[in-house]
Amino acid sequence: MPSISLSGIEDRLSRELVAAWAIAKKDVLIYYLRPGVIVGGVLFPLFMFLAFTAGKLATPVALVPGLIGITTLFSASSIEPVSVPIERRMATFDRLLAAPISLNALVLGESLSGLIYSLLIAVVVFVAALVILMTPITNIPLIVLGILFSSLCFATLGTLFAAYPTENPGDIISMVNVVRFPLIFISGVFIPIATLPSVGQMIAYISPLTYANDLIQGGYNGKMMFHPIVDVAMLIVFILLFQLIANYLYKRFND
Amino acid sequence: MEAIEVSHLVKQFGDLTAVNDISFSVPVGETFGFLGPNGAGKTTTIRMLTGISPPTSGKATIFGHDIMHETVAARQSMGIVSEISNVYTDLTGWQNMMLAAQLYRIGRSEREKNASEILKRFELYERRGDKVHGYSKGMRRRLTIAMGLVNGPRLLFLDEPTSGLDVESNLIIRDMISDLISEGVTVFLTTHNIEEANILCDRVAIIDKGHIAAIDAPERLKKTIQSVQSVEVAFLDGTSPERLDELRRLPMVNNARKEGDKFKLFTEDPTEVIGGVMAYAQTHHTRVISMTTLGPSLEDVFVKLTGLQRGGGVGAID
Repeated sequence: MPSISLSGIEDRLSRELVAAWAIAKKDVLIYYLRPGVIVGGVLFPLFMFLAFTAGKLATPVALVPGLIGITTLFSASSIEPVSVPIERRMATFDRLLAAPISLNALVLGESLSGLIYSLLIAVVVFVAALVILMTPITNIPLIVLGILFSSLCFATLGTLFAAYPTENPGDIISMVNVVRFPLIFISGVFIPIATLPSVGQMIAYISPLTYANDLIQGGYNGKMMFHPIVDVAMLIVFILLFQLIANYLYKRFND
Repeated sequence: MEAIEVSHLVKQFGDLTAVNDISFSVPVGETFGFLGPNGAGKTTTIRMLTGISPPTSGKATIFGHDIMHETVAARQSMGIVSEISNVYTDLTGWQNMMLAAQLYRIGRSEREKNASEILKRFELYERRGDKVHGYSKGMRRRLTIAMGLVNGPRLLFLDEPTSGLDVESNLIIRDMISDLISEGVTVFLTTHNIEEANILCDRVAIIDKGHIAAIDAPERLKKTIQSVQSVEVAFLDGTSPERLDELRRLPMVNNARKEGDKFKLFTEDPTEVIGGVMAYAQTHHTRVISMTTLGPSLEDVFVKLTGLQRGGGVGAID
């Protein structure tokens, strides 16, 4: 059995992080820094905003926290379900699988790129809401925490779904959407969780968007269901859970 | 310590046994050819040896590291060149090299030095700033191999390195492989080009239907089938299908095929066949313009061991 020392662990961790960053940088260069992808990322929350405003579901200012939550959900989990199947088809994914890194580093690298993209889009929405709607803010650190942790959480979710062994992005996107769209309605984004039927409320507790939305709502209007530590802790639990499941699935489907 | 040590490796996909209890070892510095028809289990074996696919049973070690339990350590000393040119076409050649080096955690100055040297060696340095989608097929192949060398591997897996390439790329890659061999790098080569394996490899293994049918030095393998000698003959007035049939019926000719402007006649007794061919030329009022006797080729060994049927014309093996 190979011996394990502290310096060995440090070396291994550093190797994994360097590799994860290299994979993230590659994804950003190839898939995210495209004018169409960035414009699409910004237009999506704009259209959602217009749809909900036209439907008079709430005042424009009240819509902003939920809009940021949905934006992180969709932007962070949108590219890996497309890029990974394409890389399988081009056999470039085999290059990553054969590199001297663990699957954890691979999954983290793929998720980091989703995180970067999601942060970029969320900042655009945040600044636009601040400048155009002059949205009042109660606690900026809560909004930052909400955007940061939810982006990583949903990016890892996207990477998890991308483990499905297909070379066709459509197969994965349709699966992701089956999860993403219901989350909007059961996570307190536009419909308060307290008004949901009891089954809906129970499901809300196992939705990461519930905790992300709670942090962001708290940052804007000070109203929160949970203590911020609970929200952050739950999002960390979801990130670790998605990372573990993704790791298992990539290993299982490599054959 | 061997570069590669394989012991009773098995890979099953459901009911299908793709690799069936194979064992072999490759000493450090050896060039080892892995030959077999399509679907024989070559790629599956490489995927197991590189840790991409776990074996159903058995064990493989790379420089003493178990590929399943010490995967990262085992991979650190190897370079892998896939059959498909798996480069990122939306990145430049330089960015591809940097990515490959970062996956091996090579520091900035070292990876830039390595990348520059290798790209120059592969005649890609001048185009390093261009996106790869503008590269030719040969250039992409060269870049794929260059990426496999960026970490200075002690063991290089080369899967069909020259398949379908132009002459220039072929020569550059063959020269590079020869250089690596002389530098003491262990090479695990799979190829459909049997002549390539014959020239480059110290030993070859022939795998068929998941089993290793033979494993030895090319010349020793050829000696095992001395019965498959041949006489190559060219006539002044060409190669008609009727003549091929007539030559097949000569005494002591086991089989015959057309090879370009010549016929190749397989026999156990070349002397007898030479006499028969000269008599044939006389009775058919033609002239023999060249005639050569040949020992069995590695391709002959391959055909015999794998039970493949040669094509009627060129006899290409794929």
